[in-house]
Order: sequence, then C-alpha cells, then structure tokens
Amino acid sequence: MSEPVARWRKRLAVPATPKSWRQLVFDARNPLPVIRATVMIGLAVLALTTPGFLSRPSISSLLTTVSFIGCVAAGMTLITLSGNIMSFSLGAIVGATAMIFTASVNWGGLAFGFAAALAAGALLNAAQGFVIGWAGANPIVVSIAALSLVYGAIEAVGADGTIYAQAGVSYGLFKGEIAGIPFEFVMFLCVTAIGQLILFLTIFGRNLYMVGGSLRAAEAVGVRTWRTISGAYLWAGMFSALAGIMLAIRYDSASMDFGVGYEYEAIAAVLVGGTVVKGGEGSVVRTLAGALIIAIIQVVLLLKGLRQEWQYLLAGLLVLAVVVLQTRGAGE
Amino acid sequence: MAQHVISVDRVSKSYAGVQALRDVSFSLGAGEIRAICGENGAGKSTFVKLLVGITHPDSGVISIDGRVRTVSGPQHAQSLGLGFVAQELSLAPRLSIHDNIWLGSAEVPLIHRRARFRARAQQAMEMLGIGDWDLDRPVGTLSIGQRQLVEIARLLARQARVLILDEPTATLTDAEIERILGVLKLIKARGHSIIYISHRLGEVFDLCDSVTVFRNGEHVATKPVSEITRDGLIELMLGRPFGEMYPTVPLQREGSHAVVVDGLNVPGMVHDFSLVAPSGKVLCLAGLVGSGTNMVTRALAGLAHGATGRVTINGRSMRLGSVAYCVARNVLFLSEDRAVEGIFHRMTVLDNLVATGLAAHARLGILSWPRLHRFAARLAQQIGIDRRRLRAYAGNLSGGNQQKLLFGRALERTEPGVLLMNEPTRGVDVGARADIYQLMRELCRRGYTLIMTSSELEEVVGIADIVVTMYRGRTVARYEREAIDMTSIMADITHPPPATKAVA
Repeated sequence: MSEPVARWRKRLAVPATPKSWRQLVFDARNPLPVIRATVMIGLAVLALTTPGFLSRPSISSLLTTVSFIGCVAAGMTLITLSGNIMSFSLGAIVGATAMIFTASVNWGGLAFGFAAALAAGALLNAAQGFVIGWAGANPIVVSIAALSLVYGAIEAVGADGTIYAQAGVSYGLFKGEIAGIPFEFVMFLCVTAIGQLILFLTIFGRNLYMVGGSLRAAEAVGVRTWRTISGAYLWAGMFSALAGIMLAIRYDSASMDFGVGYEYEAIAAVLVGGTVVKGGEGSVVRTLAGALIIAIIQVVLLLKGLRQEWQYLLAGLLVLAVVVLQTRGAGE
Repeated sequence: MAQHVISVDRVSKSYAGVQALRDVSFSLGAGEIRAICGENGAGKSTFVKLLVGITHPDSGVISIDGRVRTVSGPQHAQSLGLGFVAQELSLAPRLSIHDNIWLGSAEVPLIHRRARFRARAQQAMEMLGIGDWDLDRPVGTLSIGQRQLVEIARLLARQARVLILDEPTATLTDAEIERILGVLKLIKARGHSIIYISHRLGEVFDLCDSVTVFRNGEHVATKPVSEITRDGLIELMLGRPFGEMYPTVPLQREGSHAVVVDGLNVPGMVHDFSLVAPSGKVLCLAGLVGSGTNMVTRALAGLAHGATGRVTINGRSMRLGSVAYCVARNVLFLSEDRAVEGIFHRMTVLDNLVATGLAAHARLGILSWPRLHRFAARLAQQIGIDRRRLRAYAGNLSGGNQQKLLFGRALERTEPGVLLMNEPTRGVDVGARADIYQLMRELCRRGYTLIMTSSELEEVVGIADIVVTMYRGRTVARYEREAIDMTSIMADITHPPPATKAVA
C-alpha cells in the first residue's frame, strides 16, 4: 500500500470530520446535506422564475405570514428538542394570548397588555411542561387536554367571539415597517436569535439537548430533567404569545380562530428545517430555514394559481418525506 | 482434506472507504469450538455479519459444507445451518418459550401449535439439560442467563449445526456463565460447531479448541489454545508486547475515611448496609446479580428510589435521592448501562465530556465556550482521546473510548471527588481496559475515592484494594489488600456462611 493511500485511509477513518472532497460533496451514509442543498437551489430557481414573486407586496406578505407561524415554530423547536415531539396546544395559546392581549391593552395600556399576554403564555405552557416533566405524562395527551382546557376556559369567561381594540388604542411603531421590513418579521428574527442564544449559550440550552438526547443519561449526570422540560415549554409559551400579540396588533382584534392549525404548520417547519423528531438534535435557526422553505413554496403555488388544498397536500408530503428520511438516516 | 463446515477464502469488506476486513481466510471443522478475539474495531462483528448474510463481502468466497454459497440473509443462513445469537437478545418477553423458539422461523405454518413442533422444541431444551422447563412459561419471567439458553435452544430446534455467539456472557454473572459454558460443551459433544466471540480470555481457554485473532481488519493468527498462553494471546490482539494489565499500586499513605455509610436501606434490594471507604483506594463491591451491589452505588449517587440511611462524605452529611445534589458535591456515577444511562450518542465528544462541568464554566447560567473548549481539550488529553475527535459524535466511538469519556467527566473537579462505578469495563476491549485501570489509579493518586462493582472475579482481585462481598442485599465480609483471594470471595458471593462475618 502506497504512502498517499495509507494517509487517505487514515483520514477517512476519523468519523464526523469530513475533510476529503468526496465526503464534502457526497457521503453515501449521510445524504441529507446534499438533499438539503438540492432543495434550496431548486426552490430558489423555482421562486425566481415565477412571475410576480420578486414584487414588493409578494415579499412583504410572505415575510409577515411566515413570522406568525415562525414564532410558534421557534417555540415548538424547543419542545421537539426536549424529546417531547410536539404540543397540540400552541395554536390555542396563540388565540388565547391574542385575546388576553387585546383585552388587557383595552383595560390597562400597551405595556400591561404585553406583560399579561407573555405571562399567560408562559404560565399556561410551563404548567404543561411541569406535568410532563415531573409526572412523566405523555406529552401529546397533555397538550391535547390543555388545548381543550384553554378553549373551555376562554368560553367560560364569556369571550367566545371576537374582541376588538378600543377606539383610543394606538399600537404606534408596532404597526408597519422597520427599514422597509415588516415589524412582524423583525420580531421573528429576534425570537430566532433569542432562541438560538438560549440553546447555545446557556446551561439550560445544553441541558435541553442532553434531556432530548437521552433522558436517563441526563438524569445520571445530574440534570434536573423536570426543570429543563418545564423551561422548554415556558419559552415555547412565550414565543407563541408573541405570535398572538402580533396577530392582535395587525388585525386590531383577537379571537380563538387566530391560532387554529398553527401547531401543524409549526411542526412542519421544525421538521423540514432538520430538527430530529426524537429530540436532542436541531436548532431554532434550522427552523427559521424550514419556515421560509414552506412559505416560499406556498407563495409560489399561490402565484401559479394552485388552490389552498394543494398547499396542504404539499406541506403534508414534505413532512412525511422529512420524517422518512430522518428515520432511515437513524437506522443506518 | 478434512471436510470443513465453514470455509472462507480471502473475503474483504469496506464501509464507505474504511476497510473493515482485508483478505480474511478462515475455516471451521465439525465439532470445533473456535474463539474469535480482537480489540473493538478489529473486524470481529463485520466477519460474523458476513457469515450470516447481514452484510455481503466486496470480494472473496464463503463455502458451507464445501459448496460455495452467497448467503442472502439471516433466514437463508439459518436454512444452511448457521445460527447467530447477537449480543442483545432478541426474544419477545411476553411470549412463551415455545412461541419464542419458533417465532419468525420459515418452516412454521401460520398456526404452529402442532405436536411435531412442540416435540422438537422439547428435544432442543433437553439437549441443553433444561428439559424440565415449562415451554409455556413467558420468557419475561426468566433471568438474562436463562434467556440466553432459550436463544440457544431456538437455534438447535431449527437444526443449526454452527452456533455463532457474540459475547454471550457479557451481561451474565459467574454462576450463569458456568452454566452456559457447560451447555456449550454438551452441544459440542453432539458434533455441533461453535464460533465464540468474547472479550473474556478466561472463557476462551476454558471452552474453546482453537482461537482466531483479528487485528485492524486482518486475520493475524489461528492457533489451538493448547499452543498459546494468555499473555501471548493478548499480545497477538494488541500487536505489541503487553505490560501489566493491572497497574502496580504505589505505596499510599493511609487516606482519610472519605465515605462513611451507615444503615443504608433500599427497599427489597439492600438491607442495613454499612461501609467505610478511604480516599485514594479502589473499593470493590463483589456479588452476583441481585446481591444489591449495583444498588448500593446507585443509592449513593442519588439514583435509588426510597433509599434511606446516613451517608457522610469527608464529614459532610449527604442527602439521598438527588443526583444533581451529588454531582454538585463531586459524587459522580458511571452506570453499567453505558448506552442508555451514560453516553449521549448524538452529541459530540466535547458535549459529552463537559456534561457535568457546565456550571463550573458559566456565569449566571451563561456559558463561556472558549473556556469549555480548553476544558474539554484538557480532559481529552488526560483520558487519551485525540483532540481532533472532540467534534465527532460520541456514538461513533468504540465502547472503550466511550467509557473513557465517562471517566473524563469525573476529572478536574474543584476537589477530589467520589467516583461510583458499576461494571466499569463491561464491553470494553483489552487495550482500553488497561487504559481504564491506569485512569483509576491516576484518580486514586489525586485523592479520589473509588467505589466500584464488578461481576468479574478476576477483575475484582486484580484492581481492588478493598473488597466487600455481598449476598442478597447484605454484607458478607470485607478483605483488604493481602487478604483478597478469589476462592473466599467466590464462596462468599455464592454460598455465604450462615452467620455473616462482622464488617472489619
């Protein structure tokens, strides 16, 4: 065996540090990066060749819509990372916090509204996280129960319709654009940045990866797992509350219909972004990418004149494809 | 030329550019028990996977009973008479022994409760000397060792003539191992051949006729066990002369009584257990599965539910039941189940190393990554893992390197701590094992207190400064350095004298 070949083999034998050009371009064991790059390029070409995509109204509406779901998806990412797959109640949290926000702004002003909505979102969700983390309850079942509870509670206080912002309330700079970018998208970018910083710069963030990667191993190194799981739900509640607040500001009103279906679109963004459905691997920035991919596909389909049904169909296929790819990848 | 049951001619196999096997030739006669030895990553499991058709060779030929065969998969291998028992057992715990024996067999029609199949299952059980077991008993009620026997019966019932066993004794106690070895000798006497993969060299010499050594994907040697010594075999596996497996103990000044346990109880597991462990020494709890040794260490680590008792460490009283509390006081735990309770497989080596050191490198919960990187690099250097591997996934490391990672977590604490280890060398190859013993001695030198459990007597005698034997949740006896001897420990853990000796 010649000397260069020996060096070559040695280099290949070091796992997970792709240094040779072959591994950088295509690694048969891990096709995901290549698939990801292909999807990105294909999508960019598709979008740029679609007439009307690059117009200002189209971009602006894309950035606005993606932001509502994106904030929920950022929160969902933390829940998925913690190993609890997804929460079915985030959509209900969006609706409920929108209503709480509008009602409290009417009663006590803007700052009070923000505080009340964020606190409500955080509390409602952290309570679920506590039940899941402390008692080891099934996360899906808990979130479905919470969904029902939130709807029931809102109706019980007699707020089953739409609440409108009072005539005197002004949302000032929260409405409109900052440097030509919709306010909602700026918020979404902030949420992504905060989420990413939490994950990579805090002990809580690292604990979250450990808990999601292996609950028992995390316990054995002394992570208080119930705190970490509750924390993930708490942040998810806050991020969803921000989505509710932004919706309430945009429409000068709030109703429980606001968040319907958000949890599905959020989990789609999380998975398409590449966060692993079993938890322990992924990030909020990946979810930002996932949310943008889905939103761009939807806009392109809309501009090509395809109806809403097709968008649902496509989103469903996309999520299935990602989950299948992930499962097969893990089986190797 | 004598007819070989299996003969393999120059097979090679590579995975994505990494050569796992290179030009390996091998042959096995009828009625022969052949051991396959080698460090982790030497190519043993790849070789076995080729034999039973789980993977296929890139080049080379496999012949069975003199005929060239392309084994398409485990089912096909079975029909050719090759039966494989993987390291992780594949029995369905809720189903009966009989159902498990026939589960997934190609011969069985849809409904299999026919007398013919029952008779064959019974016959296979009798061949193993377990004909008196109830075939309708659910497998879940059997011990791990008993399940191992059912796996073997399953292969015999399906007319396997060659049994391939991958570390069948890794998780068994010494008594259970004796039984399995006895059964394997019985099977051999009936003309079956066995391929036996094991890290435990004692078993190789006790059971096998000949041994094949792999190193770095190549066949190094095949010799009758009568022509090779234990040290010679280890040298073949390592490819270099082998020093002392167990490091010599430096003269130690008597340490303080670091860990004092008084009246520890874990319901149903440990009864009124007391212990004094000095710092700078290795204390080993010896006992069979169910003797409570593993539960003592778990309780001290805060991992046992309902544990009560008084524990003090360096004079400070400890609370039981919270791992976080223990880790904050430098009491660290290494589980016997590395895959489930130790390693984060999909996180990097770096993340795994710093898992218990995050709080020391953060201010107000905010981490300092430059400090963490330096910290991890220092740890990697101390445990002998290449710095370039810090970014590799921990799941891709060999068992030995994974275990070293777990040791790394205990290093560089603010003060010398207590390290509780259950079976610290389980599933670890011979080279890494020696490294781990060195690490343990290094920790002793730094003033750590080491408490470990082991079901391998040879290891107990080799590494321990103090041995405490346990039987059914109670202490039997305590031996210090010169008094440690294998026969009395064996006697203690299997048939202790009726009145247990006082704890020294």
